[in-house]
Amino acid sequence: MAKQSPAERLFTLTCCLMASPVVGLSKQDLFDAVPAYSESRGGDALEKMFDRDKKALRNMGVQLEVRNNDSFDDGESARYLIAKGTFSWPKDFELSPKQLGLVELAARSWNTQIFGSAARSGLTRLKSRGMVEIDRQLQHISPRLIARHESFGPLADAISACTTVIFEYRKSDGSQTVREVDPLKLRLIEGEWVLLARDRRGIKNYLLRRIVSKIRDTEVGFTPATADEVESAENDLVEYANANKAVIEVVPDSEAWWHFGAESEQVTISFMDEALLAEDLMEFGADLKVLSPSTLADRVRAGFEAVVSAHA
Amino acid sequence: MPKQEMDGVELFNLALSIVGTVLRDGDQKVSELGELFEVSEAAVKKAVLAVANSEDLKNYETHFYVDLEELDNGYVSISQGMSPLGEPPALSKRQLSSIAIGLDYLAAIPQFAADAELQALRTLIRESSPAAVTNQTPTRLSEQIEKLQQALGRQLAVSCEYINQTGVKSSRTIDPLRIDFIGRRHYLRGYCRTSKELRAFRLDRIQSIELTDSEIPESTKALKIPEDVFGESAQEQLVEISASAEAAEVFWNFPVASEPRQVGDEVRGTIRVGNLAALGRHVAKYGGMVKVIAPESARAAVRDFANRAISGAATPGDEE
Repeated sequence: MAKQSPAERLFTLTCCLMASPVVGLSKQDLFDAVPAYSESRGGDALEKMFDRDKKALRNMGVQLEVRNNDSFDDGESARYLIAKGTFSWPKDFELSPKQLGLVELAARSWNTQIFGSAARSGLTRLKSRGMVEIDRQLQHISPRLIARHESFGPLADAISACTTVIFEYRKSDGSQTVREVDPLKLRLIEGEWVLLARDRRGIKNYLLRRIVSKIRDTEVGFTPATADEVESAENDLVEYANANKAVIEVVPDSEAWWHFGAESEQVTISFMDEALLAEDLMEFGADLKVLSPSTLADRVRAGFEAVVSAHA
Repeated sequence: MPKQEMDGVELFNLALSIVGTVLRDGDQKVSELGELFEVSEAAVKKAVLAVANSEDLKNYETHFYVDLEELDNGYVSISQGMSPLGEPPALSKRQLSSIAIGLDYLAAIPQFAADAELQALRTLIRESSPAAVTNQTPTRLSEQIEKLQQALGRQLAVSCEYINQTGVKSSRTIDPLRIDFIGRRHYLRGYCRTSKELRAFRLDRIQSIELTDSEIPESTKALKIPEDVFGESAQEQLVEISASAEAAEVFWNFPVASEPRQVGDEVRGTIRVGNLAALGRHVAKYGGMVKVIAPESARAAVRDFANRAISGAATPGDEE
């Protein structure tokens, strides 16, 4: 038999796991059963290949479980099996042609970036369920997500694996601390990537651009937050942002006037982060003035002064 | 979607999906599967071979029987052996998240904000988040997008007023080709009949869009839209900048002449700038976290922009 390709290896591994007895299979059982493993030279290279394959399977939705079973000999007690529910699609999971078109558009928005492959493979999977008719009336619009933060990939991996991560975080006041959190979700909020994560005090939002170290995955597992907990944290942010109001004065017929869709010289806007809003406003230079809050006005002025000083 | 090269994991996913399709719907043509999954016929064949070569060496079990002769003849015929796999697994957390983020992103676009099918889909996916936390999309932007969609649907040119990034206003006639939504900015990609070139126009800088009765020429429709929205300029200058880790995204806003590199706590690199008068805003917004190192003319442009903002003077535009 010719050497197995990675796709053949992964497919065989999945089939072996699916056909396993209820007590699961040992690592050695799998090494003996999958041709690519049994024909390898063993050692570290094989272990690394197996680790990579486990991760790939999980990323593709094959929920691989490892259970300890002391009734087996040493070295055989870790039993691998596929979790129940792996092949259970939600009941009545059907999409209309337009919805499938929207999923395609959503997948395409990742372009070739990280998550692009996951989105494309998800779409492929949906089509294999018989949902094939796609409404392509949406072709005039081309959304493109940009996720270039170095932390994005490691965080996405940790979210999939439900493992705690550690990173250094710099707050907008400049203070820097080490955070150990359970990453729950990545979100793009008005152009900023935000990590929703849980620490000892609850669920919080972290801007990816303020993560200033590499992500260290502790590989310690955690129990995911419930959908209600996540929804509640997300709603808290909406409430918080809507309570934060800034009033600006824009120069009539200037770019700022057009940008904010102003109908009078004073424009009220809500914001989730004062430092981010200051950046947005500073881009318009003398086209606008902050009227309130005073902290924002001070921040904008201090920002311009820092620019002058840095370029003196 | 464009057909792309597939790696081993993607081929594995395709193999799972082909098994699901063929076991449910019966034998399929390789070409039709390629069309369905938007992959090449070679990719379909490779995925089918992954199914064929999935034997269990320990138990001498064949998971699936694949008719290889039929495969050579352009057909995929698969029957179950010892494998209980009858349909592909449900979407992984990563697949769901990537689709959910994409859908949230769509929901933040004005033309989809009230789309009932999108809302129902986001509820079904269950991973979705609020589309926006603030409500800063001006009504004007929604109206502009609607007009552009009408123009795109009817294949008509539009006339508009445009204010460029240095504050200069101009009247233009544009053949619209596509609306891009990148990051959080909308761009009209189209052929500008005024400047006679393919351009990207930020929608928040366009005013008073009107549909004309002039049809978009076939030759224009065939133009290939570049991936980047950066325009090309004959007077491009190289500008060396440094940025703190937090402001390193500044490099995403320009074509880079050299790959940014880490120097101590900062990221340094050289960007290509078409117009120094426009550089000030891009650097000054970071409030000192981004610095221009050279040339001096670029440093002066940034300094002047910040000084004008402090004194409240209007930003002078080009004298064009």
